[in-house]
Amino acid sequence: MRIDNLGLKIGQKSVNPFKTSRNSTTNPFQNVSFEGNTLECADVFEKFKPKNSSKFKMISASVVGSMNKLRSRFTEPIVNFVNRVRENVSSAWDYAKNTNISDIAGIKNISEAWNNTMNRDVLDIGKDISNSISGIGKNISEKMSFLNTDVLDLGKGISEKWSNLISKINHNKITKDTSVNELRAMWENEIALEKAVA
Amino acid sequence: MNKNVAEIIDALAAHQDNASIEVLEELGTNSPDNEVREYTSRALVRKNVHDSLKIVIINQGKGINDLSPAVAMSTINEILALKDKSEVIRILDDTINMHSDEAVKENARSVKSLLALS
Repeated sequence: MRIDNLGLKIGQKSVNPFKTSRNSTTNPFQNVSFEGNTLECADVFEKFKPKNSSKFKMISASVVGSMNKLRSRFTEPIVNFVNRVRENVSSAWDYAKNTNISDIAGIKNISEAWNNTMNRDVLDIGKDISNSISGIGKNISEKMSFLNTDVLDLGKGISEKWSNLISKINHNKITKDTSVNELRAMWENEIALEKAVA
Repeated sequence: MNKNVAEIIDALAAHQDNASIEVLEELGTNSPDNEVREYTSRALVRKNVHDSLKIVIINQGKGINDLSPAVAMSTINEILALKDKSEVIRILDDTINMHSDEAVKENARSVKSLLALS
């Protein structure tokens, strides 16, 4: 049933077509009692009258209306915002699940920094080890240089003695002019060498 | 034999000083090495003087009287190869006539026979 079919118009005071009470009141629940208790409610239908609102109230109402309008304007973007955040959170979760941690830019940078640091540290450690080994080798080399010097001195001494012996033999090359005493000495030297070898 | 020793022996053999004969006798003929004794005996023969030939003919155990047949035969061959054998024959005759050791006389007699046949 439409209101128009009842011949009513908004704001029009008319007779209640559902009037069941004896009084001509607009409150259909005026004489209704529930277990002896009468509803103490106002006859909103009868007493509802347009009131002359004050200027302050009008301003307040306009403010509230503006706020409602503002709220209605904000409602959709907020919902969209929440949905977007929800979607972003979900997509972030999926992104987190499906993304390698090393592929994340920040993590990647941190990883690179870590790796660089570690590599640098390893390189430094290797450098230190290399320096240590080099130092050890240097010390050994220095010690070996003394040994080499000794060996070289020994070899040099032997070489000099051998060269002197050879030069002496070459100098005392046997000729017709060689004296008998020199020949005797040379022969005795040869006999001594043969005995030493034997 | 050591090459240096051979050169020394050759130098002493060519030397005119009598001291070289003493060195050859002292160091060469008394050497325990057969090759040195052989080479020294031949050098003494090549000198072809009384003192050097006397060493290899009248001394027991040296030259033609060496216990090594190779040394004795090599010394005899060197004596037979001498162009002037006069001094050798003189010493051999004196050895055969005056030496006290009969083995030395026998060896000197055999070498003189070879010289007569050569």
